[in-house]
Amino acid sequence: MKPQEGANLDIDDLTTTKNVRLEDLIDRESLKEVITSFVTLFGISVRVYSADGEKLADAVEQQDICKYLNELPDGRSACAATVATVKRTSPETMEDIVHPCFTGARYHIAALMYDGRRVGRIVLGPYLPAEVKEVPGSLMTAARDAQPDQLRQLLPRMPRARAETVHNVAEHMRGVLDLILFSGHKALLTSQMHLASVRESYRELQDKNHRLQDAYDKLRELDRLKSNFIATISHELRTPLTSIIGYSEMLGEGIAGSLTSDQLEFVNTIREKGEQLLTLIMSLLDLSKLESGSLALVKTDVDVCKTLDDVVSLLKPNATKADVQLAVDAPAEGLPTVRGDANRIRQAVLNLAENAVKFTPAGGSVTLSAKVGRQVMDEAEDDIGFALIAPARSVIEIRVADTGIGIPEHEREKIFDPFYQVDSSSTREYGGTGLGLSIVQRLMQAHDGKVSVEPNHPKGSVFILKIPIDVDP
Amino acid sequence: MQLDFVSRELTIKLVYYGPALSGKTTNLQSLHGFADEASRGRLMTLETRDDRTLFFDLLPLRFRGDGDLSLRLKLFTVPGQVIHASTRRLVLQGADGVAFIADSQLSETKNNARAFLDLKENLRSHGREMRELPLVIQYNKRDMPHTRGDDEIAQLAKKGREPVFAAVATQGVGVLETFVSLLHLTWLSLDASHDLTGKFRFNSESFLQEVIGRMGARGSIDQILDTCLGGHFEARRREPSQ
Repeated sequence: MKPQEGANLDIDDLTTTKNVRLEDLIDRESLKEVITSFVTLFGISVRVYSADGEKLADAVEQQDICKYLNELPDGRSACAATVATVKRTSPETMEDIVHPCFTGARYHIAALMYDGRRVGRIVLGPYLPAEVKEVPGSLMTAARDAQPDQLRQLLPRMPRARAETVHNVAEHMRGVLDLILFSGHKALLTSQMHLASVRESYRELQDKNHRLQDAYDKLRELDRLKSNFIATISHELRTPLTSIIGYSEMLGEGIAGSLTSDQLEFVNTIREKGEQLLTLIMSLLDLSKLESGSLALVKTDVDVCKTLDDVVSLLKPNATKADVQLAVDAPAEGLPTVRGDANRIRQAVLNLAENAVKFTPAGGSVTLSAKVGRQVMDEAEDDIGFALIAPARSVIEIRVADTGIGIPEHEREKIFDPFYQVDSSSTREYGGTGLGLSIVQRLMQAHDGKVSVEPNHPKGSVFILKIPIDVDP
Repeated sequence: MQLDFVSRELTIKLVYYGPALSGKTTNLQSLHGFADEASRGRLMTLETRDDRTLFFDLLPLRFRGDGDLSLRLKLFTVPGQVIHASTRRLVLQGADGVAFIADSQLSETKNNARAFLDLKENLRSHGREMRELPLVIQYNKRDMPHTRGDDEIAQLAKKGREPVFAAVATQGVGVLETFVSLLHLTWLSLDASHDLTGKFRFNSESFLQEVIGRMGARGSIDQILDTCLGGHFEARRREPSQ
């Protein structure tokens, strides 16, 4: 396998917490809800900042004293200075920082860490430490223009808390946020892993597809070469063979002088075997032509009834010899003609009928019939508009039924493969090349037709040829 | 491995590989339990269905050494089930060391071998060779019936290159030893190829000793390494000084 190309995702980049940002993993609205509930619970304002100092959410209760001080020039500037310092203060470690306010109140600043890295901070406050009992001097000094009475009245309204309590609140909040961060990070990782896995599987599949396509192309090329080879070889074999047959015929006819009966018998055997060989070679040639698509069909209007009669008259001697009854069953009024190559259609029927006679034991029968049928609806067709076209399309159906040995169901698909024979021992018993049926199938395909096989009842097989009659010739 | 000179941070990736249900996740859970609070992060388990790892588990560990050196260890498990091949390949990417968790049960012999070949194949897909990878083997589930015998494992280990540890991960037995050995091997290998000791100027032996202490290990590295079965470990340990 080649090194990774498609997987442009690095898990280490995903799992590193270096780039984990609070603002990316936390939904601000939800964060606000969470901290608002803290404020409701403890009465102390909360602000959450990102590592860059951006405020992500806050829940602030404006204190009466702060409001009052902000209305006074001195108070306002002192307050602004405190707030600015608090904003700048950022603890580097888990140690919290407590920042005092001139009012005597305090701000509690806690770092938010994730996987040992600082991702933000929480600011709690202002709150008044439990020990502050009266208005501190710092407040009096900072807000000289304030009314001491007002200050004395307003300061106690600020929420009071013990430093330890505030620390615990911060700790608790940190825990909650850490959990939210962890869940967010996990969800992010999960979704990214999903994507990465899908992408990786896709890449793998693509890779396999390419290899399959390559293998397929190579095989197709090989197949083409094989067909060419067979065509060439068949042709080369046929030429000398024709001479062998021709000369043995001449010898047999006594052109070169009379022969003894033994010599005649031998010469006839040579001729017979030569003819058998020629038939085989012709079949091979046909097949390779059909495979390469180079077989030219001479299309005329073919009368199928005549074809059947021709076949029967050709096979009659053989059938009689084998004690097999040969019959034709065609409508007396004749059938519509089909567009096709009369010789090739006859060849197909002859092939089937020859087989039928060959595989039917003595006393059996072979029946050739023809009729007009409907296009088969049950077979898968990928023709566009099949549902509309098919019903309008008629076929001539030629059936060759025998009472022979029959074909087991699981073999019925395979018998149309070249060189396939149901039982290879039958080659010896019945002879044949195993090419006949595949030639029939190819011939039918060349006519846009089909060949199929069904069992005959009670025994034997029925081969069915379907040749379409053009809807609109 | 990721090196960050600015923040003096070193991140090492260790992957727990092995057939389905051999106890990879259990190893991580056990390590998480052993580690001290300050060093361990949360054990993150990405999507499990019926307690099976779908993507990976991740246990982040972090340690501070002298002079602000920070060591981060990322311990991953791969999903063992055969169908998660692409995820395994992704997780294995950039691994600095691998602990192969084998199932001791005799019935799992073939699955162990298959997973190992899968590891090899996946490494190759990343353009890496098994030979270069720091690897330790753990024979887990020693407490189960119908397992390969101790003697046989010891004998196998003796012939093999990798250090082998016997373990019962559910009870934490052998888990730390496997981890320490893996970390040590990985460290030696990275140190040899990247000169970590030179670059960071620190005493790596004592740092490692501290790290394994924080992981809850008792005794010195050498004592722990001595518990392994077989493996040409000694020779490998001397490598960097040669």
